[in-house]
Amino acid sequence: MHAFKFDPVTLPANAPAFRKEIREFLARELPHVPAERRTNCWAVFDAEFSRKLGARGWIGMVWPKRYGGHERAALERYVLLEELLAAGAPVGAHWIADRQSGPNLLRYGSEEQRQKYLPGMARGEILCCIGMSEPGAGSDLAAVRTRAEKLPDGRWRINGQKIWTSNAQHSQLMIALVRTGTLDEKNRHAGLSQFLLELRTPGIRIQPIVDLVGHPGFNEVFFDDVVVGPECLLGAAGEGWRQVTSELSLERSGPERYLSSFALFVELLRLAGRVDSEALRHAVGRLSAELWTLRQMSLSVAGQLAAGEDPMLAAAIVKDLGNTFEQSLPAIVQSLLGEDIRLEDDSDLARTLALLLQTSPSFSLRGGTREVMRGIVARGLGLR
Amino acid sequence: MSEQRQLLSDSAARLFESRDAVTWDDIDEIGIADVLVPEERGGSGADWDDACAVLQAAGHWQVPLPLAEAMIARKLLAEAELEMAPSRLSIAANTVGTLSGSGRACKFSGTLSSVPWGRDVAHVVTTLSFDGRTHVVVLAVADAIVHRRTNIADEPRDDLQFTDASAQAAAAISREAQHLFDYAALARIAQIAGALQSALERSIGYALERKQFGRPIGQFQAVQQQLALFGAEVAAATCASRSAAIAASAGEVSFEIAAAKLRANQAIGIATAIAHQVHGAIGFTREYALRRATQRLWSWRSEYGNDRYWSERLGRTVIEQGADRFWEHLVSG
Ligand SMILES: Cc1cc2nc3c(=O)[nH]c(=O)nc-3n(C[C@H](O)[C@H](O)[C@H](O)COP(=O)(O)OP(=O)(O)OC[C@H]3O[C@@H](n4cnc5c(N)ncnc54)[C@H](O)[C@@H]3O)c2cc1C
Repeated sequence: MHAFKFDPVTLPANAPAFRKEIREFLARELPHVPAERRTNCWAVFDAEFSRKLGARGWIGMVWPKRYGGHERAALERYVLLEELLAAGAPVGAHWIADRQSGPNLLRYGSEEQRQKYLPGMARGEILCCIGMSEPGAGSDLAAVRTRAEKLPDGRWRINGQKIWTSNAQHSQLMIALVRTGTLDEKNRHAGLSQFLLELRTPGIRIQPIVDLVGHPGFNEVFFDDVVVGPECLLGAAGEGWRQVTSELSLERSGPERYLSSFALFVELLRLAGRVDSEALRHAVGRLSAELWTLRQMSLSVAGQLAAGEDPMLAAAIVKDLGNTFEQSLPAIVQSLLGEDIRLEDDSDLARTLALLLQTSPSFSLRGGTREVMRGIVARGLGLR
Repeated sequence: MSEQRQLLSDSAARLFESRDAVTWDDIDEIGIADVLVPEERGGSGADWDDACAVLQAAGHWQVPLPLAEAMIARKLLAEAELEMAPSRLSIAANTVGTLSGSGRACKFSGTLSSVPWGRDVAHVVTTLSFDGRTHVVVLAVADAIVHRRTNIADEPRDDLQFTDASAQAAAAISREAQHLFDYAALARIAQIAGALQSALERSIGYALERKQFGRPIGQFQAVQQQLALFGAEVAAATCASRSAAIAASAGEVSFEIAAAKLRANQAIGIATAIAHQVHGAIGFTREYALRRATQRLWSWRSEYGNDRYWSERLGRTVIEQGADRFWEHLVSG
């Protein structure tokens, strides 16, 4: 119980000035983003915008300068992320590189790997994707069957398949979790390794999957006798589980886990500003309370990360509650609309709502399902 | 966590845990009714974050005294430089009536509603507008007709009726005096967080102990997932309480109190339902201690502003700010 830690955080003194700088930049660069494109904006791909952020020093901003980073404080990066998300900036292209692939390289990569890829990531030019899920390995990630076998000359041959890989079709790099040892049913976490793969390597084939709303957001990625050099192993062979677990901590702990529907909340506020209604006021009151609380919790997780701790439990709680909030919002807004507003209207409100009604079910799947998050929390409570 | 906060909350928790029924003498012994009183007036000079840590412990151990109210009362008295009565004090955040006369000694006629432990305390502190200014007013319970009421957790919530009773009054400018109801809510939120934690601990303990189908029910995934949700709700309420308390130590805090009370109220619904579900029939007995937490939580959800009250206030504030200012305000604290 006392494992649940949500200590308060003080943001750096320059936070207000930095927010102002970010807001001015966004006002200049993104004057007219349609409201529906601001929803779930960390999945919205815009390579040109990412390069602009890179040029500004706003990708990999906490990384060492020698790898193209800017050595800013972790909580400054938090301020940047929440400002970008609240504004609905299209940050999907570089999000994975900044959030997890780059940090993963910093933690486990070789000097050569870092020099080769990190500066390009920080410029917003090298884009990354996550090669974890497979057809037979979703929640049960240790069930991955993609195999890398070591050849006599020290190179590796990879065969298998990844699935649900977001943005693989636009990315240069994938960090893939694969099996390098034989599966031991008693210790399923052993014998796994991570590989840093350039997606243009011969033998890799990417096939888009169209999602429920018709958007080709994720992919199948096939590996047919893909031969790569020993320099493509990330970290140590056999250490894949430990490495992927720390990568997942980064994947699950950010403010994107509660802000995906924020653009719709803003549209709700606009409606409530026009229409005098007790039901709207009360909904706005409740939702504001939830948003405020989630932000406090998310900030606390960021503070723990910044202090070098691994807030796995707290992050699982914020993701669970955050996803629930993001998902509940569309149905709440739909229930509050008057007869004069139709879901198929061509208005910011209707388009945003219509899109989020359809995309929000995925929020508690990606990055680990709600049930998986609650399993982590149950373990923290001493129940497992 | 500040050292003072840790010390205060540890010594309070030790005391509350060791007594079946904490008394005023116990409270006086470690001086925790005076935490909000400035040092130069004999208190600890602690801030709201420290005070709420003590109140969270009080909520956890179900202290059967109006400790939260006494803390606030003593702070108001100290600030108004009114005579410091002993700690047997409560407050009234719902007062209808009028002051007359002038200076420190005046007369009051009116009703103080829902005064925690009104029947048991010597004095009640309230605030009233007088001469166009907020005044802190102290009344002796001996001068009142006391209508005894209790909330569903058997905590006294008495209505006190005064007719031409002598009162001490002094103008006050602190935020606490100007917005007594809000700060009473802030205190209650901390107690809610504590009671939620105790219900969670009890539920986890029970789930690990109670066996059905040959194993502890806590091994069933359905039960685990419910308790995980319970844990998340407790974490949310606790974080909201702490964040509001810290904001109160720093300045203007009406947004944070509104948000935290709403969030805590929401947690109560989910948490108490799961606590009772996990306990089965035993939790539904008079004898079993779970109700001591859940009955308080159900009462406290109404006290110092229910969902309707706070969502109206918060909703109105947010809407008046305008859609494009919401984020700016949210992160400006
Ligand atoms: C939009 C989107 C983008 C994604 N992007 C990526 C990506 O870029 N890279 C990547 O690797 N993956 C990606 N994923 C995949 C995502 O990680 C998986 O969907 C997720 O891990 C769940 O796996 P699954 O879909 O196979 O569902 P399953 O694991 O089959 O689960 C189905 C249901 O069963 C439940 N369940 C499973 N096991 C248990 C259990 N032990 N106890 C209780 N309930 C259980 C789950 O909670 C869920 O409700 C993406 C998914 C989505 C929706």
